Amino acid sequence: MGDAGLSEAEKTFILHSVQDDFREDGRGNEDFRHMELETSLISNTNGSARVRLANTDVLVGVKVQLTPVDPERPEVGRLEFFIDCSANATPAFEGRGGEELGSEISAMLTRAYAFPGAVDFHSLCVLPGQQCWLLYVDVLLLECGGNLFDAVSIAVKAALFNLKIPNVTMTKDEGGVELDLSDDPFDFKRLDVSGAPIIITVNKIGHYHVVDASEKEEECSLARLMLGVTEKGTITAMRKEGSGSLDPNSISDMMEVNTRFLCLPGI
Amino acid sequence: MAGMELLSDQGFRIDGRKPNELRRIRFKKGVFRQADGSAYLEQGNTKVLAAVYGPHEIRGSRSKALHDKLLINCQYSMATFSTQDRKRRPRGDRKAQEMTSHLKQTFDAVVLTELYPKVQLDIFVEVLQSDGGNYCASVNAATLALMDAGIPMKDYVIACSGSHLRDTPIVDMNNLEESSGGAEVVMAVLPRCEQIVFLEMNSRLHEDHLSGVMDHVMVGCKDIFNVLNQQVQDELCQKTQLDKLVTTG
Amino acid sequence: MPLDTRRLTGPESSQSPYNFAPVNKLDLTQLDKRPDGRSIKKLRPLFLRTNVVSQARGSSYIEMNETKVICAVYGPREVLRREDFSLKGQLTCDFKFTTFSCRQRRQYQQDSQEKDLSVLVLEALEPAVCLHKYPKSQINIFITVLQHDGSALSAAITCASVALASAGIEMYDLVVASSAAICGSVTLIDPTAQEEDALLKATVKPDNNAGSVTVAFLPSLSQVSAISSDGELSFEILNKSMQECVANCQKLYPVLEHTLVKHQQELEAGRS
Repeated sequence: MGDAGLSEAEKTFILHSVQDDFREDGRGNEDFRHMELETSLISNTNGSARVRLANTDVLVGVKVQLTPVDPERPEVGRLEFFIDCSANATPAFEGRGGEELGSEISAMLTRAYAFPGAVDFHSLCVLPGQQCWLLYVDVLLLECGGNLFDAVSIAVKAALFNLKIPNVTMTKDEGGVELDLSDDPFDFKRLDVSGAPIIITVNKIGHYHVVDASEKEEECSLARLMLGVTEKGTITAMRKEGSGSLDPNSISDMMEVNTRFLCLPGI
Repeated sequence: MAGMELLSDQGFRIDGRKPNELRRIRFKKGVFRQADGSAYLEQGNTKVLAAVYGPHEIRGSRSKALHDKLLINCQYSMATFSTQDRKRRPRGDRKAQEMTSHLKQTFDAVVLTELYPKVQLDIFVEVLQSDGGNYCASVNAATLALMDAGIPMKDYVIACSGSHLRDTPIVDMNNLEESSGGAEVVMAVLPRCEQIVFLEMNSRLHEDHLSGVMDHVMVGCKDIFNVLNQQVQDELCQKTQLDKLVTTG
Repeated sequence: MPLDTRRLTGPESSQSPYNFAPVNKLDLTQLDKRPDGRSIKKLRPLFLRTNVVSQARGSSYIEMNETKVICAVYGPREVLRREDFSLKGQLTCDFKFTTFSCRQRRQYQQDSQEKDLSVLVLEALEPAVCLHKYPKSQINIFITVLQHDGSALSAAITCASVALASAGIEMYDLVVASSAAICGSVTLIDPTAQEEDALLKATVKPDNNAGSVTVAFLPSLSQVSAISSDGELSFEILNKSMQECVANCQKLYPVLEHTLVKHQQELEAGRS
């Protein structure tokens, strides 16, 4: 991110456009770009989704796997996030170049999904104390056009919404319980994602707060506040990013801007 | 593979195709705006994205530059969710490295490298869903992406795989046919001058059958070429007509 | 593989004995006195000192009762890879829990949580350091948590900013961090590991708040340089606890000042 290589004049232009509440592409400061969302694209996954937010393109595939439970928390299933920054997005991601950004996004997602109400973790446990579902949420970044965190979180929520978990039948054997996975593709259950958060990023450009910044605008902002928010209006993760610092009052203002976007994530 | 017949007595393959029938091919050029060229290609259930960046200045150490021709840099990666069982790493494993070097060799042979000395061209291939013929789909997608980027080439490079089952040569194998343990011949060719730029064979095949399979794969490549070329030409015609409308007002 | 018969082979998989120990039932919502005897609004006493690692350019050690963090700063020094040239200096941070610092043994390698914490510490410090004064160079910060008893992140940030200052790195301000844990309507300032743990296991009603906040603050500029929160919290509560953390940071600032003054005095005494 922040690789557009803007000149000082271009930066001033963006700064002024934000001041006038009329940005480069004609949007106001608190307008999102047009978004496309598709689900059920990859047949090798249990759930998949793709989000295209102007030039940002994200593909998410979710695979489920039965694993032994975490002994620390024997009654719940687990979520695991992995973000792959494809070199298709920018040559800078070639090899291991995208790993840093990837781990940053996955850390934010992990934190946003860490509270008990995010998804029904108890329904992901097949046999308490023994076996549970592990959901591998794999995100593939295909193109970066700004506002990655928001796009990724929306795609993740959509993919979890699309997720089909095969039903499991349990039969008692001598010496243990045997688990049988259903082969029938129509014998599945869904995951309740109504509590799942999405991430909304507010950028501070000059003295103004801007949502859904493009790559160029992100380069002009010195600080941004990322919040994981749920439909209920609660905040599940917060993080400040960027090299600048913020006034405590301005943080409250930015949080308010954030919570105004709660009605947005309707899938 | 017990209980499963790769080729039925009636002469149909496991997914209902005839021995010399290809899977459905769909593609779209120019799917990304940031890349210089890009293409998305579906061959049956195999889905591949290719992006081309360049020619541009050498990235990283300058000693990699070739003084008389273009340096082609490839990266092949597979999405972690692309296969039936989840992959732990999208790239960097032995298979991906091998694929990368194969792609590099293939395109070194067809791109007119001598036109761009001392610069670099990146070809990035991402397999989104894998159902056999990953190399073939990658080559075909990369060809389209190179065309989208306007890189001069000798010809299309088209790749196709084939095998020999119950005395019948088959082409364009899917995952089940690939993993059955039989022989597999993979060829990348220049379809118009019938030159082979890449040839690989796995497993065991009787000497007498090899030329037969290769002939069929060549025909398969030409079929793929026709499908791709038809759409590319149609799109080009449409575009020139639109351009004409614009220029004539 | 030939089996070594003289050797006692353990079971293939093992579990921590703590998993079978009785769970500490700490009800955070009904708490008038905390396990360590503090009131809920009280910070732990802070012990800070500089010059603890002799090879490093600057270093510091912080102790908040059982939370102990040591930090060393090296540089500014030349950036080794030439492609990384930039007119602004670079700050790197390496955050590590020692293997014995937590209840569960940690691995030697940095895990994802430690990587995440490294980034957070870096983001908290970057706004405070005059990076434009160090072109073409990098400053390395190494943070080691010797013992983790809650609020490790805030201790690490405070410790690192003192270490940077003692290394003579030019800064706009010191960075002070403070954290709070929220459970229901109760806000615990400067939580211990036991309280953080109880928070994770707490079964709060879905509409209730449970989470934690860490704020890094530049006291004399009155700017927040980093903020991070975990768990589900409502907007009002988060805002309120953020203000509380800011106030606590201001309370801690004199301690840092005092430490640095003492550091300077020692330095001058050594010179004369």
